[in-house]
Amino acid sequence: MTKTVIYEAHDVSKSYGSVKALTGASLRVHAGEVVGLVGDNGAGKSTLVKVLSGAHQPTTGRLVLDGVEHVWGSPRDALEAGIETLYQDSSLAPHLTVSQNLFLGREVMSPGILGKLGFLARRRMEKEAHEDLERVGIAVPASNRPVSALSGGQRQAVAIGRAVSWARKVIILDEPTNHLGARQAGEVLNVIRAAKAKGLGVIFISHTLPHVLEVTDRIVVLRLGRIVRDAPTSEFTPDSLIAAITGSSDAESTTDA
Amino acid sequence: MTDSSQAITVTPTPAPLERRARAIDALTSQSSLLLGVLVILIIVFTILEPKFFSVATASNILTDWGSIVLIAVGQAFVIISGGIDLSVGAVIGLSGVVAAWTMANVLGLDQSVKGQDAWGGLLVGAAVSIGVGLLVGLINAFLINVLKIVPFIATLSTMGAALGLSVVISQGAPIGSANDFALISSFSPQWNPLSPALIVVILVVTVLGLYLHKARAGLYTYAIGSNAFAARAAGINVARHLTWVYALSGALAGLAGIYVYIRLGAGSPSSGTGRELDAIAAVVIGGVSLMGGIGRLSGVVIGALILFTVQSGLIMIGVEPDWKKVVVAVLIAAAVAAQVLRKSDGRG
Repeated sequence: MTKTVIYEAHDVSKSYGSVKALTGASLRVHAGEVVGLVGDNGAGKSTLVKVLSGAHQPTTGRLVLDGVEHVWGSPRDALEAGIETLYQDSSLAPHLTVSQNLFLGREVMSPGILGKLGFLARRRMEKEAHEDLERVGIAVPASNRPVSALSGGQRQAVAIGRAVSWARKVIILDEPTNHLGARQAGEVLNVIRAAKAKGLGVIFISHTLPHVLEVTDRIVVLRLGRIVRDAPTSEFTPDSLIAAITGSSDAESTTDA
Repeated sequence: MTDSSQAITVTPTPAPLERRARAIDALTSQSSLLLGVLVILIIVFTILEPKFFSVATASNILTDWGSIVLIAVGQAFVIISGGIDLSVGAVIGLSGVVAAWTMANVLGLDQSVKGQDAWGGLLVGAAVSIGVGLLVGLINAFLINVLKIVPFIATLSTMGAALGLSVVISQGAPIGSANDFALISSFSPQWNPLSPALIVVILVVTVLGLYLHKARAGLYTYAIGSNAFAARAAGINVARHLTWVYALSGALAGLAGIYVYIRLGAGSPSSGTGRELDAIAAVVIGGVSLMGGIGRLSGVVIGALILFTVQSGLIMIGVEPDWKKVVVAVLIAAAVAAQVLRKSDGRG
């Protein structure tokens, strides 16, 4: 496995008015590595995700993608640089079909003059959507069905498949296994493994600690806007991970150095 | 969400089965149902009043339909994108008045200029009328995108402003100028209810239908109405696309403005008053969801036909014309109720 750092946040802080949501957070993810980002509600996970995905600009700090420092003006900037973000629950348009969702914002146009006039290559996108999802290990229903006709697990699979098949460098998954049954969550974890095998840097944010322990290579723990622990997953047990998240005394001594 | 969607489907449906499923879909689609309703209405009105079934009646219905289907199509784009445009009726009046004023006072044409001599003036009038509509549409987009006013209030404001301005410019009276009524009369009253103006309308509606259902602009309209957050996350410039949608709705209202001008032979400030309700009625009868993201233009086109078939039919069987607005209101309520029932039926 390659050990190149693909995406890195250096000493990032973010304040909303007088509220400090994030203080001096540094995080790095290597190509082909899954990093778990955990923390209690209000620990700063969402803020860090928004900074990493380009939705918010950090108050101070630097972001380095593939060795180049970037300032994201919008999520589009980050997207174009190769960072895909899957937000909680709301990444798909329910009335659009699977393939329309998969290609949204990156449509394939008809060849020739029709394409120049703005017309879409619908059949080609439906075919490619099916192939793209299969490639990342997702068994999809017909790609011309509207997403609203799918089950929650299928929707999430489509959303993740979309992110994985487009991502070139980094993929950020915010609570992708939320509200899913065991089997469906298992499929999502398999897709994460596929993304890792593809050489992407994966940042996996979750409250479901067994999933984090199962799929990640390294775990970063946020508490009260600061990173309090950053260690290989093998160094954590379920109990020590909970202790690090809640800040109970036994973990305190090893982290607050 | 249906209960059949628990398992993740792996095998694609075999082709013949899929074809049959598509055929069933087509038969039960909104457009087919609406066509059925239209045919039933025509049969019922013909039984009640045999004179209803005639080219003359069809011509009347289609002439009314021509102006409303334009603003209904614009309204469909707006509503599918998750908004609403209440200004379209007032824009018909304002754009017609400004076009008539320009033709009379700038080009110096009066009502004595008729027939083909009027075509040059009417062309300028059409450009002015569409321009006025476009401008109001851009103002709507500015209020919604930049000042973050909800579409209902933003377009209610421009509706009031457009109504007021058209009275100011016309001083409350219709402005007459050059015209050619032949453009709006059917080619042959015995067998062909279409007029040159209607053919232009049908062409415009057809092109926009292709854009809504086959082109990127249409896809983005659905995407924004379905989930604006997802659209933004996918990199779509939502504000820019909504500007396009409201500008389109405005421009179509401007085109409807010159259509109504040709029909009346004058630009009247009240010529579009209340027409936004007709447009919204056609849109919801046509199966477009007021929540955004759902609907097809074929439904809207038939929805507008149903609206005028009912209005015209009721008048022919002797119902007082004053009841028209009540009928439109009842149709809107019935259509929305039907949508809710369909949805709870699990058919979206």
